Amino acid sequence: MNAFKFSLTFLLLAGLALAAGSCSKKADPNKLTSELLPVADNPLVSFHILLKVGSANDPAGKEGLGQLALGLLANGGTKTLTFQEITKRFYPMAAQVDLAVDKEMSVFTTTIHRDNLDKFYALFRDMLLDPGFREEDFNRLKADQLNFLEKTLVGNMDEEFGKEILNLALYKGHPYGHQDAGAVESVKSLTLDDLKSFYKQNFLQGNIVIGLAGGYPQGFPEKVLADFAKLPEGRTPALVLSLPQAPQGLEFVIAEKQTPATAISFGFPLAISRADDDFFALWMAVAHFGEHRQHLSLLFQKIREQRGQNYGDYAYAEHFIQGRDKFPATNDCRRQQYFSIWIRPLSNSNRHFVIRQALRELRRLVEEGISEERFNLVRTYLLNYTKLYAQTLGERLGWQMDSHYYGYQDFLAEVQQRLPKLTREDVNRAVKKYLNFENIRVAIITQDAVKLRDDLVADRPSPITYANPNMPKEVLDEDLVIQVYPLEVRPEKVRIAQASSFFQKPGLPQQ
Amino acid sequence: MLRVFALTAALLLLLGTPLGLRSQGSKVFPYDTKVEVLANGLKVVCVPLSNPNIIAYYTIVRSGSRNEVEPGKSGFAHFFEHMMFKGTKAVPRPVYDDYLTRLGAGTNGFTSDDHTVYFVVFAGRDNLEEVVKTEADRFINLYYDEETIKTEASVIEGEYYASVSSPERRLAELLRDTAYEKHSYKHTTLGFLKDIQDMPNQYQYSLLYKKRFYAPDNSILLVVGDFDQARLMELVKKYYSPWQSSNYQLVTPAEPPQHKAKRARLAWPSKTLARLAIGFHGPAFSDGKIDKAALDLLAEVAFSNSSPIYQKLVIEEQKCQDLFASFPDRRDPSLLTIGAVIKKDEDLPAVEKAVWQELERLKTELVSAELLSDIKSNLKYSLASGLDTSDGVAGTLFFYISLTADPGSLNKLFDLYDKVTPADIRDMAKKYFILPNSTTVTLTGGQAK
Repeated sequence: MNAFKFSLTFLLLAGLALAAGSCSKKADPNKLTSELLPVADNPLVSFHILLKVGSANDPAGKEGLGQLALGLLANGGTKTLTFQEITKRFYPMAAQVDLAVDKEMSVFTTTIHRDNLDKFYALFRDMLLDPGFREEDFNRLKADQLNFLEKTLVGNMDEEFGKEILNLALYKGHPYGHQDAGAVESVKSLTLDDLKSFYKQNFLQGNIVIGLAGGYPQGFPEKVLADFAKLPEGRTPALVLSLPQAPQGLEFVIAEKQTPATAISFGFPLAISRADDDFFALWMAVAHFGEHRQHLSLLFQKIREQRGQNYGDYAYAEHFIQGRDKFPATNDCRRQQYFSIWIRPLSNSNRHFVIRQALRELRRLVEEGISEERFNLVRTYLLNYTKLYAQTLGERLGWQMDSHYYGYQDFLAEVQQRLPKLTREDVNRAVKKYLNFENIRVAIITQDAVKLRDDLVADRPSPITYANPNMPKEVLDEDLVIQVYPLEVRPEKVRIAQASSFFQKPGLPQQ
Repeated sequence: MLRVFALTAALLLLLGTPLGLRSQGSKVFPYDTKVEVLANGLKVVCVPLSNPNIIAYYTIVRSGSRNEVEPGKSGFAHFFEHMMFKGTKAVPRPVYDDYLTRLGAGTNGFTSDDHTVYFVVFAGRDNLEEVVKTEADRFINLYYDEETIKTEASVIEGEYYASVSSPERRLAELLRDTAYEKHSYKHTTLGFLKDIQDMPNQYQYSLLYKKRFYAPDNSILLVVGDFDQARLMELVKKYYSPWQSSNYQLVTPAEPPQHKAKRARLAWPSKTLARLAIGFHGPAFSDGKIDKAALDLLAEVAFSNSSPIYQKLVIEEQKCQDLFASFPDRRDPSLLTIGAVIKKDEDLPAVEKAVWQELERLKTELVSAELLSDIKSNLKYSLASGLDTSDGVAGTLFFYISLTADPGSLNKLFDLYDKVTPADIRDMAKKYFILPNSTTVTLTGGQAK
């Protein structure tokens, strides 16, 4: 018996809105839905309680509300138990509840041994359905969120800082255009009543998908659904997402701080997501160009392997959060996506060269496409590598849920079916249709920002030197081309701001 | 869906050892392990699981930054890990990359204090021979020239830069450098920056390093997943037998006892939360002696998120964003570290004082039997939650194999945990948590530019 049939049996027996292995499109949008993946003999049970509300739903002036309100559920007490008491009860079970907030959805995840399922679930249920909204929890989590924005993100993690600046730049004036944790000013203004209102307005049945996988006992999903069915029916009105403003030429945002290394992220909004047929072809091209941390990647080969500039260089056809190992995380689906390139920190002295090099490689991809040989190699790679994506219970459940979000029965199975039918021409057509090398937003963290701006605007040559005195001739010859590769950078398109000025208010800081 | 359902069902049928922890006497690591040793000393640990698709193939080289005992060579184990991807004369780098790409494997290497580990996680038992053959080839016949090493050295510098904005990294470096006098645990796996910058000049040393440590008598294969053991051993013998033993005996300098408390501080150039780390010299990993096991439990008693001091400083008073104890298992005596992330610089002395008060309390008060039972339960369920895939099993087991070369060490350790008494915990607190044995490092931030 496979899981699909197994859960269908449940569905028939229980007569509830249980959906497993099938899209839940026909379900009443104001009522709960579920995603089940029973694996009868597995001793573990994974929960993914997904809320179709994310940081994009934060009202203006209250950016960071969703993160703080949901954080209070995952890390706060219930009406009857303090968070301290919950922590003590979780401890012998090695239980914890994780929360991830993205733009349009948020998810509470946990995996528990079935020995402890009933004890754990009773606590978990009350955390989500009967939260305590205690002042002391609120104060603690608000302070943590402010410290994250003001100190940790800006001072301690430049790679993430760079990606977040890119997000602010890509989605200026758009519901996606603030950090998921908000901004210092907006988070400071949040009150416990704001969180209670958020809960009342958003913890509605139609917003919630109950994801369950593993060796849970018969009747358990029905119990969970009956508990969550006590929430009011209804749903948060769908957000209207305008199209993000397209970049006009090369637009730079430089965060200035004292640092020996420069972090770079750049990209542009895409008019395509995993839901579109063309995605498969575009995804293949981007895998060729920069699939995460694989030697296959062209950027990785040219910037890291040939020239030793940094630790790695990657490209993505959609928003990417790293899950286990190097695989994509799940439950961060979006209706609007973006293309991005991530250049890991490199010596400040080589920053201008590498910006040129990455943009030149992007131009070559757009203009020349990929070769038949690379096309075949990338296809073989993706057909095999994606077999590793869904190994743990949580990964399998996450992929099942995401497949349904984007309208597939099983996205990874779809990959196996669609890729063999694609041609090199399909891929190169998608590249020309969706990618470009001229209208791009670039986020940089570096020191001496004014010098970088002047170098960019004057289009000064940017030669580099190597520790290896015997670099291959073809590399040195190509360097001569790269170091003068023309970038049309207009002075008004380079915005410089002190690192400490970011995330004080939602959106980009004033220059 | 079918795949993993079949895995778990078949696992239970074949092994008859469910992961449930209720039954008395069941082992926390429930799978059968089979061990064979080749004539050249290469040990092979097999954990056959009837996963219909995935095989985790790990090569454990029992050499890490612990082996960097010579001056100027810090970071070399990690550097050499990078060189292991450079190909051989038979399979040059582009061919090797092409093979990995076609295989679509999850593959990488990582280095720690005591080991460097290479893994290839792939789908399909039909690919097993290709993997065994190619992995054996690169371990036996690795080839690179002086130019290659110079370019790769700058990648390592880039890796150092990637972590340069992390206060934890800098604080860990300072703690080790201050706490250790002689032992190679004095430096982190990445190494000192000055040694990283000298790596382009270390071609000859890299050849010596490989000869000493990348040898079958210093390496262990761990293969977990869907394969036939007899077939695997046939392939391993065929491809790994030419690998020459090294017989090199590493002598790590003994760390002298510390008789005087040490302190150091680090100023961070921008705004940051303050950090405190107090390190105590402790024992090496052992699956037979009680000290390390008792200290593992003690660390949980004192500093887990359910402990009184965590509840006080993190949840109630909210002076700290985080508070933890860390005592990783190491082959040689290493540091038990208590760490705190503190919201206001001015609270740093109060947090340090509270940590010491807690340690003093443990020297006199006995832990309740109930709490000890909760901790043992936590450790067992934490372990069990990672054992549901081939990669999860390999990713758990390799660590203990690297420590002792014995896959049975994991269960022996948990047997030892069961024997730890409240008196053992009190005695360990008295023995190790004394001021002259401590090294305290702090980090505070300035104004962001």
